[in-house]
Amino acid sequence: MTLVPVTYKGGIYQHDIVIDLIEDLGGYIVQKHIIAADVVLQCFVPREDIELIRQISKPLFGEVTDSPLVGTEIAVVSMSLEIHHLPHPSCDIAEYVRRNGAKSNMVSLARGPGKRIAGLNDEERDVINEHDIAVYLMGNFETCIEYKMPTLRRGIEVPIVLCGGPAIEVLRKIIDPPVEGYVGNVGRFMRRTKEADQLDKLDEIVAEVTRVLEEKRDSIAKDPLSVSPARLMGLINEKVPEILDVTSPTPLTVQMAGLRVKLPYDTFAEKMRKIEIEDGITLGDVAEVLPSRMRDYILVKILPFSETNTVV
Amino acid sequence: MLSVEYFDVECPEALGGEYYKQIANDVLLDQNLLKVVNKLHIFIDPKIPVFIAVGVLNKITTVVRVGDFANVNPQEGKMTLVISEETYLAPMLKIFWERFGKEKVEQPDRFTVILYNVPAQPKEIEEIVVADPSVSLHKDLIYALRCIAPEGFRLRSETFTGSKFLFVASENTLAEDISTLVREKFALMGEVPP
Repeated sequence: MTLVPVTYKGGIYQHDIVIDLIEDLGGYIVQKHIIAADVVLQCFVPREDIELIRQISKPLFGEVTDSPLVGTEIAVVSMSLEIHHLPHPSCDIAEYVRRNGAKSNMVSLARGPGKRIAGLNDEERDVINEHDIAVYLMGNFETCIEYKMPTLRRGIEVPIVLCGGPAIEVLRKIIDPPVEGYVGNVGRFMRRTKEADQLDKLDEIVAEVTRVLEEKRDSIAKDPLSVSPARLMGLINEKVPEILDVTSPTPLTVQMAGLRVKLPYDTFAEKMRKIEIEDGITLGDVAEVLPSRMRDYILVKILPFSETNTVV
Repeated sequence: MLSVEYFDVECPEALGGEYYKQIANDVLLDQNLLKVVNKLHIFIDPKIPVFIAVGVLNKITTVVRVGDFANVNPQEGKMTLVISEETYLAPMLKIFWERFGKEKVEQPDRFTVILYNVPAQPKEIEEIVVADPSVSLHKDLIYALRCIAPEGFRLRSETFTGSKFLFVASENTLAEDISTLVREKFALMGEVPP
């Protein structure tokens, strides 16, 4: 059974039928938003059952769309929190990938701007590495990007998509060694992205992020995870009732190869490790439970089959 | 940038210069400064790195008076002011309180102010100067130029005298002969530095 990420949009009336259906089919709901009288479900469902969900939700005026970014956590790396970079373009891009189903976090660097003075500290590096992918939003000058990029990527292990003012060919030429993705002609600007050509640019960023994430998915598939992150999410929801009291919009954030649990590490780490998944196999057997650099959260990193020799 | 007589961005990187032209346009538009700026030349060289903005301002002679944004209706023992724009409401109330005392000034709602038994004619009230936009002009312009300049360029030198201004920024210590470069940029506009 292959689970694919989709978004369901429909009315609030009888939406629990759709939720029950997805769960009965073996799918998982990653996020549920209720906006006025509408419901948006971001979920993983079996590929062969998408048509069935479409049929059943048709009388409810629900629609199912592919959302390749569901179940991913993206770091949008902004060079600073000054008016120069916020709210445009950093927030526009962070918000746009969110619309496509991703969970985006904005990571703003303490010493990001400038050319010679730009730097990345250990906390920023570790926080970026906790995500599935990092989208670097650079400025307009190729001289500066070329000069500061080696510093800003030092120690980053996740794939990078680089957005900058120069054309894409120029970006490819100046970045050595190459990063995983490039989007040109989107540097610093001081206006809201609402015109058609600007929205096309945002679509281009989403397409590039999706392409890079697909590559990462393929490489994970070569050595599959011992347990699906969405399944772990369901288990934690069931067995750690304290998670229901967390007021954060996503108390459990699903990543491609792990989970961010928004509970204090010291209190809950041991409890997490002891959660039984199946036949005496605990979470601690198939995943690493680590302290996150983001507040005092817990980061669960699922180990691949080659390390555990189990798939549950 | 229709009202600006001269506007140019000079940069060794052509595409970067284009972006900065757009940024300068957006920022000046947002800050409502297009009417004020008469000539503007921006020079950016990311290799040095340096950012220079030189320009000439239009003369602002108008001051904002009570009569510009409020109707004064005299009645028996009181005067009712109907406000059409709230921007200058706070400074106007402050002036009234100082001049007539708080007990004589009442504001029943956002757009109405009533003055009771004040020793002044309606004409005099209308003529009271509430604000002088030219006072905050230089402050607004410095803010706008800081927004336009690349963010890392934090070492700045600004000169604002009368109708001319120059703004130099870099992330390194500014070169001693920077004034030569500034003079060249003013010359491109047919002006001399202040």
